[in-house]
Amino acid sequence: MDRKKLGALAFGAMLVAAACSAGSGSPAPTAGGGESPAATDGGSASKGTLKIGVSLPLSGGPAADGQPTLKGAILAVEEINAAGGIGGYMLEVVQLDHAVNGKYNEQQGAADMQNFVSQPDVIGIVGPYNSAVAKVQIPIGNSAGLLQCSPANTNMSLTLPEFGALDYRKANPDKITYIRVAANDTIQGPAMADYAYNTLGLKNLLVVDDVTTFGKGVADTFQAAFEGYGGTVNRQAAGADTVDFNDLITAAKSKNPDGVYYGGVVTSGGGLFLKQLRQQGLAIPFTGPDGINNGTGKNAGSLFQIAGPEASKNTFSTVAAIGDFPAKKDFDLRFTERFKDDADFKTPGAYSGPGYACTTIIADSLKGFLESSPDADQAAIREGVRAWATDSSHSFETVLGTEVFDKNGDTTQPYISFYSEDPAGGEGTGAWKFEEQRNYGGQ
Amino acid sequence: MTTSTLSAKPNALVEAFQRRRVGPYLFVIGFGLAVLFIFGPEQFINALTKGGIYALVALGYTMVYGIIELINFAHGDVFMVGAFVSLFVLTSVLGQQGPAADPLMMLVIIGIDCLITGVVMGVIGMTIERFAYRPLRNAPRLAPLITAIGVSFILINIIQILYGPSPINTPQIIPPTARVEIAGVSIGWINIFIIGLSVALMVGLQVFVSRTKLGRAMRSTAQDREAAQLMGVDINRTIAATFFIGSALAGVAGVVQGLYLGNISFTLGFQSGLKAFTAAVLGGIGNIAGAALGGFVIGFVEVSAAASGFNVWGQAAVFVVLIMTLIFRPSGLLGQQLGERA
Repeated sequence: MDRKKLGALAFGAMLVAAACSAGSGSPAPTAGGGESPAATDGGSASKGTLKIGVSLPLSGGPAADGQPTLKGAILAVEEINAAGGIGGYMLEVVQLDHAVNGKYNEQQGAADMQNFVSQPDVIGIVGPYNSAVAKVQIPIGNSAGLLQCSPANTNMSLTLPEFGALDYRKANPDKITYIRVAANDTIQGPAMADYAYNTLGLKNLLVVDDVTTFGKGVADTFQAAFEGYGGTVNRQAAGADTVDFNDLITAAKSKNPDGVYYGGVVTSGGGLFLKQLRQQGLAIPFTGPDGINNGTGKNAGSLFQIAGPEASKNTFSTVAAIGDFPAKKDFDLRFTERFKDDADFKTPGAYSGPGYACTTIIADSLKGFLESSPDADQAAIREGVRAWATDSSHSFETVLGTEVFDKNGDTTQPYISFYSEDPAGGEGTGAWKFEEQRNYGGQ
Repeated sequence: MTTSTLSAKPNALVEAFQRRRVGPYLFVIGFGLAVLFIFGPEQFINALTKGGIYALVALGYTMVYGIIELINFAHGDVFMVGAFVSLFVLTSVLGQQGPAADPLMMLVIIGIDCLITGVVMGVIGMTIERFAYRPLRNAPRLAPLITAIGVSFILINIIQILYGPSPINTPQIIPPTARVEIAGVSIGWINIFIIGLSVALMVGLQVFVSRTKLGRAMRSTAQDREAAQLMGVDINRTIAATFFIGSALAGVAGVVQGLYLGNISFTLGFQSGLKAFTAAVLGGIGNIAGAALGGFVIGFVEVSAAASGFNVWGQAAVFVVLIMTLIFRPSGLLGQQLGERA
């Protein structure tokens, strides 16, 4: 009787331990030891360290999105510190991972944002990657007055008042705390619609969205533009948990689509959708927004890795960032050199450059502010950085080119780059090849 | 008991109709034919394939409930672990990376995989029963239920630690592009294989339960545990065997899942497990044929939703079906044959 009780007690304790650890956000795996480059307090009058927070999904499937972007930020901070820091301060990257159970998690993103806000030496944030997470983070940043620069968010409701951006700024409606270097989906969707209709010559498409903020938004703008050109669209939806798209595909076959547009990210099932399309005999062009552009077939969790080399052929995507920026060759070399010993994600991703640029912008804002107020305290620095970055009269020389932010926080030089799949890339597993880019600035 | 004054024939017919439960079978066949004619043969095959997988998992739910009246919430995750064990067997033990050379090799490889996975999952199922449920056999009903949820978390965490949180590609031994033309319709060999295997296993299980000694022991334990004990049935062994068979079937379902979609993830248990549970309840929990029918009905419902353009409502539709069943016909399509009726 006693042994039974003891056994049951031990088992119960084990269950409690298991239940407690289930589903909790995992601490971010450090990307090749590049977490805290602020080492010694060398150089002249050193005032200590200021932190730049990075809020990205870094584990599981979304690692293919978040890790290359994080590494862009790490590279930027290391180079700044190597050059002596800013105004006597060294910079440090603090990363928090909001991927939970292999998917980006808004609640964890909100918790991470609160965490950053509560650390007074955090002067700015790089991130997030997913628009749904930005939706919960912007209000927190806005009420705390903490600057946030996203390298990759594209949903229009985050910045444009006509799409509801003021709802996210309720605490301080006149203070912009959120800026982004990525073009928004009022540009990205129609850009691919133009490419699909005019360049690829597709007229009748199956459009599927993943029922998320980003996916539905970009699919909507895509569909409106595509139908505007005169094309026909069969619009369907498949929730982010879907693994079996076969019924949807079978039903769509009767409408004879000559192409597919997937509004969503790979973790919502984009890779499986592509694979099953090919299995049902539809070798038609598969197009999508930046959500499907996340690395070569060798990167775990990328579209090509999940779909396999055969299915990956004949795919196209847009990226809401400049693809062939002037300093690209040099940037790629520095990136690959720095991260060559990492286990995975050794080459730059679509948003590595923007991650680097966002960090540069925060650092330059700090520099500009400190020139006029060199002895400001941390709270004043935080506000000073924010005010400097969101001032439309300030321009930033970044690796992407010159960046200026308009009154809503959007970049005034929104680029869309177009990529196609290169079967020989990624050592035969498939990689994205840059085709062309267009500047939609001044529209 | 009332005697009828009408002629005997209609009564006998009605009686036979009700006793044989022709009604529910006709309903399922009718639903199937509706899907076939409204949405086409391809969707019909999709539904049968999905339904077959759900049915295999539902069998485990239904058998365990029938015998110890426990809803084994960990069963969906036994299915998920089975998929990963199959991945291990195929890649590490058998060294397969993709489709096999010829049909005979395919069957041999899949056969070995099913055997190994089935046995391994059966043993895991028995172990879970031995350490998590048996000590609580006489406890209030809530205790083993909560334990089952705990076991579910443990399984999920083990797989997450071993394989990481991302979905993983599995070798598709039967290439999905291998198709055959039947009556002008292109059907994949993988679909035929899955439907055939599911039906064969279900029929095999039904035969086993009704014709063998162990099957009789299972039925009698389900009907009245004390009386069965008095008649000399070894309860512990019988329940262990039930868990073994149920978990082995879930393991085979896991093999099939990997072959069908070519991709598995540790969240498989939650998604599919819930739908398989719905199938078991729909068919009449505790009833083996019911679980089979329920699985196919769930397949039909999902495919109907997707084919009508309401793909997002597919999941909701399945659970609406569950709620309607519980309200209007709580004993399910075929009712519970194994239960506490006098």
